[in-house]
Amino acid sequence: MPKKPLLLTILDILTLILVPAALGLILIYTPVEVNMGPVQKVFYFHVASAWGGMLSFVVAAVTGALYLLRRELKWDWLSQAAVEVGLVFGLTAILSGMIWAQPIWNTWWVWEPRLTTTAIMELIYLAYFILRGALSTPESKARLGAVFAIISVITVPITFFSIRLYRTIHPVVIAAGSDAAFSMSPRMQTAFFTSLGVFTILLADLVWHRTRLAQLQSELEQKGLAS
Amino acid sequence: MKNKIDSPASARIEVRGLSKRYHYQPVLDGLDLTVNGGELCVLVGANGAGKTTLLRIVASLVRPDAGEVFAGGYTLAHGGPYRRQIGYLGHQSLFYSDLNAVENLTHYARLYHLADSADRVTQSIQLVGLSAHRTKPVRTYSRGMQQRLAIARSLLHDPEVLLLDEPYTGLDPEAARFLDERLRQLRAPNRAILIAAHRPQGLLSIASHVAWLREGRIAQHLPVTRLGEDPALSAYLKETA
Amino acid sequence: MNGLRRYLSAVWQVFRKDIQVEVRGRQGLPVMLVFALLVVFLFNFALQLSPGLQAGLTAGLLWVSLAFASTLGLNRSVSLEGENNALDGLLLAPVDRSAIFFGKTLSNLVFTLLVALVLLPVFSLFYDLNLLRPGLFLVVLLGQGAYTSLGTLLAALSIQTRTRDVLLPVLLYPLALPVLIAAVEASRGILAGTPLGDLRSWLFLLAACNVLFLAAGLMFFETILEE
Repeated sequence: MPKKPLLLTILDILTLILVPAALGLILIYTPVEVNMGPVQKVFYFHVASAWGGMLSFVVAAVTGALYLLRRELKWDWLSQAAVEVGLVFGLTAILSGMIWAQPIWNTWWVWEPRLTTTAIMELIYLAYFILRGALSTPESKARLGAVFAIISVITVPITFFSIRLYRTIHPVVIAAGSDAAFSMSPRMQTAFFTSLGVFTILLADLVWHRTRLAQLQSELEQKGLAS
Repeated sequence: MKNKIDSPASARIEVRGLSKRYHYQPVLDGLDLTVNGGELCVLVGANGAGKTTLLRIVASLVRPDAGEVFAGGYTLAHGGPYRRQIGYLGHQSLFYSDLNAVENLTHYARLYHLADSADRVTQSIQLVGLSAHRTKPVRTYSRGMQQRLAIARSLLHDPEVLLLDEPYTGLDPEAARFLDERLRQLRAPNRAILIAAHRPQGLLSIASHVAWLREGRIAQHLPVTRLGEDPALSAYLKETA
Repeated sequence: MNGLRRYLSAVWQVFRKDIQVEVRGRQGLPVMLVFALLVVFLFNFALQLSPGLQAGLTAGLLWVSLAFASTLGLNRSVSLEGENNALDGLLLAPVDRSAIFFGKTLSNLVFTLLVALVLLPVFSLFYDLNLLRPGLFLVVLLGQGAYTSLGTLLAALSIQTRTRDVLLPVLLYPLALPVLIAAVEASRGILAGTPLGDLRSWLFLLAACNVLFLAAGLMFFETILEE
């Protein structure tokens, strides 16, 4: 069993410090937004989660491509870890988006481009796992998973643009206020970018742990102890 | 355009350091083997030892994890030109059930871009004794008939390298004799033949060499005339008669 | 040039063989056609549609039926190669394996276009709307071109899994969404009498998807099929 790298331990500690710090920043440091009230603060983690989800998707595709080129299983461990963690980040983004939307727009869901694209991205993530589950050998899971991840990442921006274009023709009329726009004060900006940074670190930490888990799983399978 | 490595007259299979794993288990582990033009090598080994995997890799149907494969002056990486020289017969017929013999073979003739395909197809079908059935869909053929047609398919483009995986399966005695005769005729300086058989006794009279695949490698590779040198192999061959 | 001629000849042969098998077996096209019509009937009653339908609804219904029928055709096209492992025969051919991709995409496209050829007049009858317009033919061609090329690529993926046919829709629909959105919107525009020039963005999107998926096929088809 591979020994836990020192760097990972440092990353763990860093994450454990930074996430509550960011939370504190958001809850205390930032002002309450005039129109929306305290619920607006969901926004910071909401966008950061979405960012994490998208970043993960790209990482999955890149590491997938690296697997296809190098054929070293470690790239596949990284790739599937990225998809799995990305799935969770995407889900968080959607849920936090819904929590934010309800009091403001009086609806749980709205078919706006970013939200819809994120939901589709989640479905693609799930399809990835269904695909892997339906394959028998670790080699084919890695190879076909990689191809699917690469093709998927290309279609996501196109999906976003097509939905956005669609929305310009079929605009959504929402109850109160426009598309949740507000201008950010300097404190808000600080919190915003800090959240992005912290979530990136959180993402790295989770993906690393998940990769190690995949590696362990792989070793167990090699020894014939797991299927 | 990639060029041939060797001269055209060198029909030859050369495998170096071939490795392949499935489910983390090595099926082939640094395997080396050479089959020269004019040779007919019988590949023996237990079921699941990796004979099929080896043949499929040389046929370019499976990608190896490591190692190199040369056939007649080209290597796997050459793609199209490499495959042109390969004739392969696997466990399945590779036919379209709804099409008849003529249509199936014509399809292959066209894929290989063969001139005078119509004549070749007619002759091939005649050679394997299926002329009477040639307009019936392959679906209606018995296993033996399909195997005979599959043999015709693998030889259609006159390949310099012939890879046959258990070709006698499903053949009745008459068809088996036909195959024996055909293989005898096919042995030529510009052709290298590798046949996998887990019951090789019958082939020993036609073969020039025997290669024994064990634990992912060729444990023994001898000319048929010198089989006596390895008692273990001789015993194995007697067992599987 | 000799190499190119052989390549194109191989593409043509794969296409020709698919047509030949279909003509002989008659299993694919009738099923696709009947299924498409059944979908129309199903939706008609489910959504309580009637003649004098809005252009948008007709366009949507058209593309849903085409998508379903097309998916059926894709599944059949690839399972055909699974029988007797005929795919090996194609893989052994002395040409670049992407030729198989192009040949099969072409035959899949032709079958779907044949279904569309029946659906368009049928829709015109059912919903009292003229669907036989050149603009619409163009959209169907572009839309189905993108859909079948992506579909052929993903069908090659799904054929290797344990769940086979069942998996294709799961993989295809989320990725094909931009194609469907663009196709429906462009169709709707044409049926509503919008000049083609105004529908530029959608047509461009469709064309881009065609190029993208054909390029993806060129790059990944061999990797998908190798063991």
